[in-house]
Formats: sequence, C-alpha cells, structure tokens
Amino acid sequence: MNPLLAQFLAEANDLLASVDDGLLQLERNPGDPELVNEVFRAAHTFKGSSGLFDFPELTRLTHAAEDLLDAVRGGRLALDSGMTDDLLAAFDLIRGWLAHVTAHERLPATAGQDAAGLITKLRAPLGGGEAAAADQETPLSVRPIDPPPQWLAHLGTEWLIDTATWLGTTSSTLRFVRYLPDQDCFFRAEDPLHLVRQVPGLDRLAVIPPESWPAAEEYDEYACLLSFVVATRAAVGELDYLFRYVPDQVTVVELDAAAIHRHLEGEDEAEFAVPAPPPRPDALHVDPELAADARAVLTAAHRTLAVGEPAGTQLAALSASVTAAAHALGVPLDLTGADQEAVNAAIEGLLGRAPVEPAAEPPAVDHPVIPALVAPPAPVPAEPTGRADDPGGQVGTRVLKVDQEKVDRLMELVGELNVAKNGLTFLAAAAEEEFGSRALSRRIKDQYAGLHRIAEELQAAVMDVRMLPLSVAFGRFPRLVRDLSRRLGKTIELVTEGEDTMADKDVIEALGDPLVHLVRNSLDHGIETSDERVAAGKAPAARLTLAAVADGDAVLVEVSDDGRGVDPVRVKRKAYEKGLITEEELESLSDSEAVDLVFRPGFSTADQISDLSGRGVGMDAVRASVEKLGGSVTMRSEWGSGTTTRLRLPLSMAVTQVMVVSVAGQRFGVPVDLVVETVRVPAAEMGRVLHQDVVVMRGEVVPVIDLARALEMPWEPDSARDLAVLVVSVNGQRIGLLVEQFHREVDVILKPMEGLLAYAAEFSGTALLGDGLVLLVLNLKEVLGLAARVA
Amino acid sequence: MPLELRDESISLVGVVTVDEVEQLVGWLRTCQRPKVSLRRCNHLHTGALQAMLLFRPKITSAPKDAFLAEQVLPLLTGSYGDTGRQGTETP
Repeated sequence: MNPLLAQFLAEANDLLASVDDGLLQLERNPGDPELVNEVFRAAHTFKGSSGLFDFPELTRLTHAAEDLLDAVRGGRLALDSGMTDDLLAAFDLIRGWLAHVTAHERLPATAGQDAAGLITKLRAPLGGGEAAAADQETPLSVRPIDPPPQWLAHLGTEWLIDTATWLGTTSSTLRFVRYLPDQDCFFRAEDPLHLVRQVPGLDRLAVIPPESWPAAEEYDEYACLLSFVVATRAAVGELDYLFRYVPDQVTVVELDAAAIHRHLEGEDEAEFAVPAPPPRPDALHVDPELAADARAVLTAAHRTLAVGEPAGTQLAALSASVTAAAHALGVPLDLTGADQEAVNAAIEGLLGRAPVEPAAEPPAVDHPVIPALVAPPAPVPAEPTGRADDPGGQVGTRVLKVDQEKVDRLMELVGELNVAKNGLTFLAAAAEEEFGSRALSRRIKDQYAGLHRIAEELQAAVMDVRMLPLSVAFGRFPRLVRDLSRRLGKTIELVTEGEDTMADKDVIEALGDPLVHLVRNSLDHGIETSDERVAAGKAPAARLTLAAVADGDAVLVEVSDDGRGVDPVRVKRKAYEKGLITEEELESLSDSEAVDLVFRPGFSTADQISDLSGRGVGMDAVRASVEKLGGSVTMRSEWGSGTTTRLRLPLSMAVTQVMVVSVAGQRFGVPVDLVVETVRVPAAEMGRVLHQDVVVMRGEVVPVIDLARALEMPWEPDSARDLAVLVVSVNGQRIGLLVEQFHREVDVILKPMEGLLAYAAEFSGTALLGDGLVLLVLNLKEVLGLAARVA
Repeated sequence: MPLELRDESISLVGVVTVDEVEQLVGWLRTCQRPKVSLRRCNHLHTGALQAMLLFRPKITSAPKDAFLAEQVLPLLTGSYGDTGRQGTETP
C-alpha cells in the first residue's frame, strides 16, 4: 500500500473517533460553538486529505458534511437530531468505505450510489435541496448525479471506460444528451445535425441510425430517422438554451465516473433508484428476480469466455459485469486486473453457488452500514445508520500514537545500556589481569556476547520505530514543482524514485529544507524554457528526478535535472570576481572543482535576483545543514546536459560508529564513515614535500598531519617504532593522521558540544565509553583547518 | 450551387440545405457506384447525411470543415470506433 494512503487511513481512524464523539456531545449540548468547531475541523481535515487520493465519492460526501457543519458553525442553521443522525450516518458510511479501502485500496463499487442519498439529505437543510445545492457559488457544489441511461452504449465501451477513468481522476462530471428528433421535423425547418453542431464543448457524438432502414424505393427522404447521443463539457444551462425549441425531444443527464461504471456494469435505470430503500429487516436472502438476472449475466459472461478470447477493455468490462452480478448475489468479489482464467474461475464458483438461497456467510470486509443498493449483502443490520456496537471493520493497521519524547527516552536508555554493556569487556580484562582468573574472564566475555546481541537488536528495534519513508520528504514536491514551473513558464516532469527508502525521522525532517533549496535551484537556474530546450535539441519537457537509495548505513538522495548544467568557466569567473578564489586558482581549477565552488559561502551565479533563489545564500547553506546531520553533498554537472546533486546522509543520527585512536595518551573518536584504512609506516618511509609530511601508498602521495600538533598536545613519535597512520577521506581528499595508537570501533550516542565546550569547533560531540571515560569525537574538517594554521 | 453533379460523382459545396436533399437522394438512387466529394462542404443537412448513411456512396475526399471531418466523416466511411457493447449484455 502506498505509504501516504496508509498514513491517511491511520489518521482517519482518529478523526472518525473524534467526529463521532463530538457529534454525540453536540446532541447533549446543542449549539456549543467549541464542539461544532471541533467536528467541523475534523470533517474539513478529512475532505482535505481525501482529496489526495482517487476517492471522489469520499470527497463529495465529506464536502457535503462540511458545508452543513459550516452553516451550523456560522449560526445559519440550528443542529437538530435529524441532522446529527445524517452526519453520523455519513461518517459511519465513510468508516465502512475506509475498511474496504484498507482491504482493497479502493472504495466499494457502490460508493457513489450510497453517498448520493446522504449527500441530498445533508444538503437539504441548506435550503431547497438539490436545486440550491446545484446553484451554490462553490466551484465544488455537488449536482445530483443522474442514473446512467441505457443509450450511453452508443458512445462505445472503450471511450466510456477511458472517460470514466478521466472523470474519476479529476472528480468531475460530463453532460450527456440524447436527441430524438421528430420524424417530421424537416418540415418545421429544423436541421438536427445543425443543432448538434452548435453544442459547445462537444466531446463525442454518436449518430444512431434507425433499427432497420426502409428499402431504397420506399425511402422517404423527408422523414428524419436519425437520432443523436452527445457527450459534452457544456453546462446544463447552455444545453437547455440550445435545445429550447425541442425540449420534448431531448434528454440531458449529468454523470460522473461512478455512474458510467454502473452503466458499464450493466445496470440500467429500471433497477436504479435514489435513495435506495433500506432493506426489510427480514430480507436475509437474495431477491429471486435479481438472482435470476445475475445468473443470466454470469452465464452470458461464461459463454463469452468460452468462445472468444476477450482482452483489454473487453475483459475489463466483462469483469465489471461479473463483479456486479456477484454483488447482487451478496458475494463480494474483486476482479480488478484479473486475467481470463481468474474471471472464469470466479464465474464458475458463483454459478455453483448462485441458486436462490441465502448467501452462506456474511462477507468478511464489507460495508456494514450501507443499505446496499443492488441487494443486501447477507445479513446486515436493518437500521440504515448502523449499530453502535458494530465494529465496522478495521480502518488502517493498528497504530499506537506515541509521544516522541518517549521514543527519544528509549533511545537514550539503549545508549546507556550499550555503555554499561561495554563496561563488561573492561571487567573481563580486569578479571584476568588483576584477579588472575582466566575462567572468570571468559565467562564474563560470554555473558557480554549475549548482552551485546540483545542490545544491538534492541537498538535496531528502537531505531525502526523512528524510521520514516522518504516519501514523507518527497511528498511536498509535486505541488511545489507544479506551482513553480507555471510561474517560471517551464514544462517540467517530476519523477521520484525509491521513495520507500527508510531513514530516521530526524534525518527526514532535516532533509526538507535542503531539498526544497536544491529543487528550487534546479528549476530556477538549471532547467531552461521549452524554446531553449528545443533549440538545444532536447525534449521540450524537462525532467527533474528525486531519487533515494539505501547504501549500507547511509541513505543517498539525488536531485538531478536534465537542464543546462553548470558552466565551469562562468562559475570560476564569478568566484574570482567575488574574491572567493585567487588568480592562479582561476587558471588551475579543474571543471569538477569549479562546480564545487557553488558551495562556497557568498557565491551566486544568478545575474538577476529572482524571488526563488539567487540571494547569495544558497548552496553553502545546503552543504552546512547536511554536514550538520553528519552527511555530505557533492555535485556533478555536465555543461549542457544537466546537474546531479547527491546528498549522502546517515540513516540515523542517534548512533554513530567511531574509531577510537589515542594521541599523547588521550583518546579521541573519528567517525568510521570517514576512515579509509589504518596503516603502520616505518619512520624511514615518511617523506617530506613542501614542508608537508607525506607517505606514498600504492603509488598515491598522501599528506600526513600530526594530530598531536594540530591539537597542540605535547607528543613526539617514537622513532624506533612504526608510525600509526589513520587514513581518512575528507571532501574527497585522502589525508593521513599521525596518531599514537589505534583502538577498537565503538557505537556511541553522540551528544553535541554544549555550554562551555560549544566554541570548540574541532570536536563534533562527546560520548561516554564503557570504562566511564568521556570520548571527544573529532570534527575532521575543522581539525584539518587547524593543522593548516598550525603549520 | 451546393451540388455539382457529374455522372458517377458529386461534389457537395458550401452548405447543403433541406432543399438539396431531394435532388441528392434522386441521384443516389439512380447511380450505380456513387462517389461523393465533401472537400468543399461546410455543412450537411440531416436529411443529406441520413441519405448517405442509407445509400453508402464512396467518399472520395474528406471535408475541410472541422466538425464534418471529425464527427461526420467517420460515420460515412464506417471507421467509427466500437459502437457495440461486447461482453456487457444487460441482464
């Protein structure tokens, strides 16, 4: 299931509970403005969130409820118990729907009809029922949806399926006109085709010839035998005006996706009535006539499958009719995307159990509240509002809402447990050395191993609680890109990949701003206008990709576009003009190094400051905030074909792996992410180039920095022993750190430097070790800066 | 003159009104293999369309008029999508 939908369902559960609660309290104290507000807000939230998914019926129903509550809130209406009943019924219906969504990820097929009656009821108190609802000034005002007429068939199944999909996606409606001109209309100077021609927003026209043509010699050229079916985007008012002289020859209906689907499923007007009468309490078995009809449909479908090989839309239409028949027999069936065999199997199963007998068992997850339209699905409570003790299916997976502080507290305890656990290794060493008991030492080590495993798993479990998918961070971009691209007049297609990659919530939250910045930059500077792209021989629509991929204990997020890229020459010139680089750098910097200049503070290439970016604060801020998270940012660009910015972030900021080294008797931590290798170099192999100690490793010259000197600690390496060099990679450069000794790697909970130590930028934080020592974790970038200053 | 008649073919020009329907039908009745050019036709009266649907002349050139080309021509050349409802016979 799409994570957004899962989140919506989880939230919906709470919302529904609060609406129910609020409405019941309102019954007791009608007119309490605080309560009305609360319920209104819940309904409003519902409508807003439901709009994100393809559930037009849900949006319409919540919209109607919201309008009613709004009127109550504004004091234009007094809430009576009838309205409360309707509201409760509406939210009960929604609960049933969402249970169905949880199971099948779509609303039940009958949603449109079930909602129609309630919407009418909810809108009735707002004055004058349907007519008023249709005339309301809101763009979303709901016109009653007409039952789908038979003559839709003339427009063609394939077109109807496509159109229904489109209408469903856009939650909109189309008007359909059937025009049956009189036989003698030519004598009244009417030209039906001319009239049809004038229909504005004509979407599809079907001209229906007579059932049988007369023989050529008997043909009367002045008798009109044709009739017309038109699908149009014109408003009902326009159609009424156009056909004002022939109102008796014209039928106009307004239909939405659900109505067209009902037509495709083979229900005609005769069976259709709004609102559906509630089933009689004793109606526990399927209506025999209906069952006979359903059998006929199934038999026909079975024949079709036996003789032909229906595929594509034909199969889709067939499955739809089978589903409808199954519903009529009280058997919930989902054939979306089923292949021929599956449909055939379903039909045979149904035909085996279709005889007129009560459906064996109530459907597992179905609308408990819905006075079903076609037939009651097995025993349902008779009262249309549902029973209070009806659990109504589970909406969403069971979710506990936990205060964030509690999770953070857990994390801290896990950290402390880790520290305490690490203490056992020291105890084991002490048992052997101080008390001379090897056996005890070994037993302590065994205990430690067991504890270590549990502590690791506990840590992983707590981390898992804090994990969120990246789709949370990506979710805001479709809208942002759409708005910005319209404002800039560029055509942009946004592609997201790997949005189900998980990362710690702190990382996800902190990612938001840098990502927005990068996307804006891309839209503003990277992506060209369509004309420019076409001139450069590219597709007119630019592509902006947000991709995430897990990489060990890190997550990589890339923002890439296929725009104009970064011009290294221009960047260097700008940087030189702003005094960020020297003249020789201007000459010597390679293209990739030039691209990296955009991360320098105070750099901006925008010649014109737009309101999106180019105020001189930019990429440097992005880099700073990502590095604060313990990540890194790199940019690759090819002039003319696009730019890719890659963020590398730790999966979690809670636990850091550090390598412990000691310098002048003091222990320091270095983040393992940065460590390339540890080497021991004979003192004789250490060379000097330009006053810089270097060591040659596998043909590569690596500068070596004496960590003790950089940190201003008194220490002289023992020339008789090999030198311990820790090779790290900082900003893509390899650098060796001369240290006294290597120790092990440990997992630590890094605490930021605070208070008196806040100024010490050369440390990124402190951690407590198992033997009670406080470990200072180095911030290598700053350390390298210090080393340069000391030298 | 909206109808330009020749032996085996006819051109419909401008707006074909109800007054031309009789003449058109007469020609369609007598002609063995009627051919109709719609290139310069701007509108057909319903009666003319109906007659052409019955007698099925060969359409030799498509109308320039957008409505006729998009909505009417497919009816006359029989290249109209699926009008049936395969697989969904109503019960």
